[in-house]
Amino acid sequence: MEKQLFTDKFSYVFGDQKFFKKQKRIALKNCGLIDPENIDDYIYAGGYTALAKVLTEMTPEDVVKTVKDSGLRGRGGAGFPTGIKWEATAKQQNDEKFVVCNADEGDPGAFMDRSIIEGDPHSIVEGMAIGAYAVGASKGVVYLRAEYPLAIKRLQKAIEDARKENLLGNNILESNFSFDMEIRLGAGAFVCGEETALMNSIEGKRGMPRTRPPFPAVSGLFAKPTLLNNVETWANISSIIINGAEWFSSIGVDKSKGTKVFALAGKITNTGLAEIPMGMTLREIIYEVGGGIPNGKKFKAVQTGGPSGGCLTESMLDTKIDYESLTKAGSIMGSGGMIIIDETACMVNIAKFFLEFTQSESCGKCVPCREGIKRMLEILTRITDGEGKTGDIEKLEELGNMIKKASLCGLGQSAPNPVLSTIKNFRQEYEEHVEQKMCRSLVCEKLLTYTINDKCIGCSACRRACPAGAIAGLPKEPHTIHQELCIKCGKCYRSCKFHAIDKTSVAKEQK
Amino acid sequence: MSKPLSVLEEKRKEAKSRLEKNGYFSDTKIYVGMATCEIAAGSVPVMEVFQNELKNEKNIYISQKGCAGRCNLEPTVEIYQKDKEPVKYIQVTPEKAREIIKKHIKSGKIITEWVGK
Amino acid sequence: MNTIKAFINDKEYTIDSGLTIMQACDSIGIKIPRLCYHPKLSISSGCRICIVEVEGMRNFVASCSYPISEGMKIHTNTDAVRKARKDILELILDNHPKDCNACVRDEVCELQQLASTIGLRERKFEGVRREKYVDDSSPSIVNNHEKCILCGRCVKVCSQIQNISAIDYANRGFDTVIVPAFNDKIANSVCTLCGQCVNVCPTAALTEKNYTQDVFALLNDKTKIKIAQVAPSVRVAIGEAFGIPAGNNMEREIAHALKLLGFDYVFDSQFSADLTIMEEASELLERLNGKGKLPMITSCSSGWMKALEQFHPDLIDNVSTCKSPMSMMSSIVKTYFADKIGRKPSEIANVAIMCCVAKKYEAKRPELAMEDGTPATDYVITTRELAWMIKSAGIDFKNLKGQDFDAPLGLSTGAATIFGVTGGVMEAAIRTAYELATKKPLENIDITAVRGNEGIKEGSIEINGKEIRVAVASGLGNAHKLLEIVKKDPERYHFIEIMACPGGCIGGGGQPYSGIRDLPFDPKLVSERAKALYKSDELNKIRRSHENPAIIKLYDEFLGKPLGEKSHKYLHTHYKQKFPKGIIRKSKEK
Repeated sequence: MEKQLFTDKFSYVFGDQKFFKKQKRIALKNCGLIDPENIDDYIYAGGYTALAKVLTEMTPEDVVKTVKDSGLRGRGGAGFPTGIKWEATAKQQNDEKFVVCNADEGDPGAFMDRSIIEGDPHSIVEGMAIGAYAVGASKGVVYLRAEYPLAIKRLQKAIEDARKENLLGNNILESNFSFDMEIRLGAGAFVCGEETALMNSIEGKRGMPRTRPPFPAVSGLFAKPTLLNNVETWANISSIIINGAEWFSSIGVDKSKGTKVFALAGKITNTGLAEIPMGMTLREIIYEVGGGIPNGKKFKAVQTGGPSGGCLTESMLDTKIDYESLTKAGSIMGSGGMIIIDETACMVNIAKFFLEFTQSESCGKCVPCREGIKRMLEILTRITDGEGKTGDIEKLEELGNMIKKASLCGLGQSAPNPVLSTIKNFRQEYEEHVEQKMCRSLVCEKLLTYTINDKCIGCSACRRACPAGAIAGLPKEPHTIHQELCIKCGKCYRSCKFHAIDKTSVAKEQK
Repeated sequence: MSKPLSVLEEKRKEAKSRLEKNGYFSDTKIYVGMATCEIAAGSVPVMEVFQNELKNEKNIYISQKGCAGRCNLEPTVEIYQKDKEPVKYIQVTPEKAREIIKKHIKSGKIITEWVGK
Repeated sequence: MNTIKAFINDKEYTIDSGLTIMQACDSIGIKIPRLCYHPKLSISSGCRICIVEVEGMRNFVASCSYPISEGMKIHTNTDAVRKARKDILELILDNHPKDCNACVRDEVCELQQLASTIGLRERKFEGVRREKYVDDSSPSIVNNHEKCILCGRCVKVCSQIQNISAIDYANRGFDTVIVPAFNDKIANSVCTLCGQCVNVCPTAALTEKNYTQDVFALLNDKTKIKIAQVAPSVRVAIGEAFGIPAGNNMEREIAHALKLLGFDYVFDSQFSADLTIMEEASELLERLNGKGKLPMITSCSSGWMKALEQFHPDLIDNVSTCKSPMSMMSSIVKTYFADKIGRKPSEIANVAIMCCVAKKYEAKRPELAMEDGTPATDYVITTRELAWMIKSAGIDFKNLKGQDFDAPLGLSTGAATIFGVTGGVMEAAIRTAYELATKKPLENIDITAVRGNEGIKEGSIEINGKEIRVAVASGLGNAHKLLEIVKKDPERYHFIEIMACPGGCIGGGGQPYSGIRDLPFDPKLVSERAKALYKSDELNKIRRSHENPAIIKLYDEFLGKPLGEKSHKYLHTHYKQKFPKGIIRKSKEK
């Protein structure tokens, strides 16, 4: 079949062999291969066969069992076994149940969900219809963030086209099964990716997490039993149905089956989306799929799992990509963000960057997250500003561990991860900042010293650029910087065309 | 009641005939990346070049496609020709698109320096 | 009931199934520290103070929401839990002003009490604080954002109990605040000023607007005749502020204390409650005879009147035109009584002591003003404010001998006493309406169908062979439910009593804060207050408003007859639809 050529196509393409060869495309199987706005393309490529198959040959129990046996786990972050969720929802007795797709992709730098919806929207429609059949739901909601206009348009078209073809609606494919779905738009709150906050948002309430239990499978959307999965999870379903649980569970490792899509970003040669079989090592991903670190720089750390993941060091590069190993190493799978950090980055600053994000996205409901992360950020800010105090690192650890254990939802429970993991793995850098007021990577502005070296020709460009009047010197004679006046803004450094200004950070004498 | 699988089989046949009518089975197929990321990288004018310059050509099918995950190489254009291996052009601009039409589509010469390395 | 076995602090207990960890611990005598939790409100698990350790669980568990299950091993007091609780409370306090001894809730602050329970001894983090912002736009309620700890009880009481939803969370994370819709001020919002949010607030973030300094200034003004009136519910609650158990009637002590504070006359709002009954019962009989709309709905509760104007404008004609007892008293004082003592109304200042914060708003309603435009009621202070004034003036409240209210506007009947409790106005009105209509004495004047703590009560009485069906609702949420029934079935009732606060005025927003480590707004407390009022009614020799000799004299000397010309001028008013922020004006209503 012509389709066969298509699926193997990635490795035919010139120059991309390294990138694609080690991948295994299940969730992304059609992405980049079909016209996402043409249902005929999808159907012709084998689409909706899985749905027709479950409606023809399988009972809902069979479907739940297949998903359970496949070993698929939630791809949105926590990695909860999908089949157990399906089973729990199916078990509930209720006239009305919902299936929900979490497409509120909020992790900065992660875009696998967008890519799937934009490249293969029908895979979500089909996956959700199968899920609805399995758990006995008749309504589906996709909670999609409003920042993805093209994804909204394509998914909307997919839903409408599917309705026209009787792949949604009453008596789908002339069976007894009826199911329809709609899109609800999220207004850009990160916390609405948390399942209970997401349901609150769909219900028109403020997007704040609810306390669990009750779990959504028992009392979810509008207090009805609700099956909620992430986009990538839904995208795996049709392949599992077609190829069987055994096929799926043959991919991957022990407790983590199948593949995971990662968004490679940061200091890596091949930035992009890669679908990786579970069990591959970080080293393989970074150096083979990702093509290594560009510009001859040295690898320093890799941050996995989005803004609430942890930073892993070179010594951990042989960690296998699976839920348990990543957790053991001190990070998380998360939604699949993977940011590669090279030697030019300051780890304290990186931690601060992620914490700034989670701090501004905290919903404000529970105290540890709302107040605690703010205080952690304040401590980090003063450390990077050269005002760190002895004991700050311990304070960060203490606060971070409390917030992890006491917060209401996943956001707070994981927000301290970047700080805690960088302290664990790069404690020396923290200590240098706190005790010696030094940033070895020359990132933390306030810890830098600018001096003029003998390459200065006295052009005065720096003197004119300095907003603090800290640079003195006669024209055509070497200039000097008065350190006590310098506000460390870096304007002189950027204005100099002769590399005559040195940026350094040296250990200050301890008081 | 007829079985959903056979209903779907009918639908697939209909889909195929509609695709056929639209030229899906042409000897040359051009896929231009049109996901948000590709559009941001500049794929819309590239698409326009292919559509405008080839609008009178028969046996050429031009389609959009989603993102294949190669961020740093976008916009990407793939060209499938019958019995040949597909070719992926990277970082395509409207100018490059015109060259691709001239050399690759019309004269069969792959511009290897623009192909992903 | 099924039971389960679980281990709490290493001891095995048999516990009813279906309980949360917190409830289970309560049942065995362990009261886990808590903050945002309130049994009457939904559980949000936001404060995280009530966390416990459960063996086998990675994180702490919020005991308020987590169900206890068979074999669970719970630890409520380990070092780790104690430390985490302390850390969390520290975080709350680090974003809270350090001005406890300059705070209106000093000594009666739940947060302060919690800090002492948890054993907080230092403040750890110096950092950014919540923005200073005080919304004192409303005459009743002040919202001080700086003191808010975002526990959310106010939001929940407003939406879940009162069904008003005047306030909610806005903004995210550290910038979260609780504000009215559109971030506007309370005065422009749909807030009915019932003050239930003040009752449940653990800090001084929501308080009544304080007029005690104005009243002290007034008391030192030699040019004025200072007249106080005291609402029924004040007398059975004020003792709580002095450590006297709930349910003691302190009316004589209050009258004495007010005199010591410098009031020239101390009158009783119960007198004007009797007057209200005269007018309202007559109005009911008129309406029953075809003059006016049925069902008739009471109009004593200021919070309810604001809710009516905003949410139920279609029922304005159903509402009794009677002013509230407070406003009737103020009117009569500045007319009838002013005449009696030979003073001009402008020389008299009326101060009302109320269990209510909405009454502060009512006092400022222009339609209730005197002919010259000055307010009939000059100041309204709450039970809480009076208690403070008494303490502040050095009056030994507990040991006062007590004295009577002044005549003639201090005489009242048992019917007026029960105005303070839900169903009381209804019961008092029936006692009088029955006897006015039938000219026969009502045999059993305890109308128990309308007594009790339920949110909605129904009953009926036969008057001249006709069945009069009545209903009573307390709490605006219940009122809303009842009115929905009325709108669907307008014939169902003849007479309806509505009170904005759950339990009636005794549960008002101006009542004393609960005692040390007690739950705010405890239903048990409210029923103790109710019992005290019913007991006073029972002990009163006169229990029917129309038998109050001072009332009979007032009609003889001044008003003429109920619903007469003078009554209409001084005792009745009208209500108009209002459009605060959030109520959409339909085109025809412009």
